[in-house]
Amino acid sequence: MTAVAEQIHADIDALKELRDALTRFRHAQREVVERGDDEIRATRASLEAKAGQWRSLLARREADFAACQLAAAAEAATGRPADCSAEESAVREAQERLDHIRRWQQRVEDEAGAFASASGRFRDLLDRDLPRTENHLLAVITGLEAARGLQVAGS
Amino acid sequence: MLQVIDSIWQKTQRCWLDDMADHFDRNHWTPLLAESRSYLRALGECLELLSTAERDTEF
Repeated sequence: MTAVAEQIHADIDALKELRDALTRFRHAQREVVERGDDEIRATRASLEAKAGQWRSLLARREADFAACQLAAAAEAATGRPADCSAEESAVREAQERLDHIRRWQQRVEDEAGAFASASGRFRDLLDRDLPRTENHLLAVITGLEAARGLQVAGS
Repeated sequence: MLQVIDSIWQKTQRCWLDDMADHFDRNHWTPLLAESRSYLRALGECLELLSTAERDTEF
C-alpha cells in the first residue's frame, strides 16, 4: 500500500468513527430531549395536583370558618361567642400556600416557554442538521473509498 | 458525551487536512457544538428550576 493510500485509509477510519459517534450522539440526545420534556410535564402535573389539594382544603377550611362565624353569631346573645381565630388562620394558611403554588406554576410556565425555543432549535438540529452532517460525512467517506480503490488499482 | 465526540473530532482533524475539513468545521461542527452546548445549558437551568419548584411547594 502506498503512503497516499495509507493516508486515505487513516482518513476513512477516522471519518467513519466520527460519523458513528455523531449517530450515537443523535440517538442519545433525542432521549435527553424527551426526558427534558417529560420532566416539564411531570412538574406541571405535580404542581397542579398540589394546587388541587390546597384548593379543596381551602374550600373546606372556608366552610369551617363560615360555620364557626354562624355559631359565633348565634352564641353572641349568650355573651360567650365562639372563637373563630383558629379557623380564620387555617383559611389564611391555605390561601397563602395555594397562592405560593400558583406563583410557581406561573414561573414554570415562563421557564417552559423560554426553554421551548432552545428545545425546538435543538430538535431541528437532531432531526434535520445532524442527519445532513452524517450524510455529508458519508459522501466524503464514499469519495475517499473510491479514491483508495483507484490508488490500489494504480499501485 | 459532547466531550467524547469533540475529542473524536480533534483526532479526525489531525488526519483530515484539506479544504473539506475546514468547510466541515465551519459549517457543520462549530454550529453543532454551539447549539448542543446552548441546549444543554438551557436544559440544566430548566431542570434546576423544576426541582426547586417541587421542593418549594412541599408543605
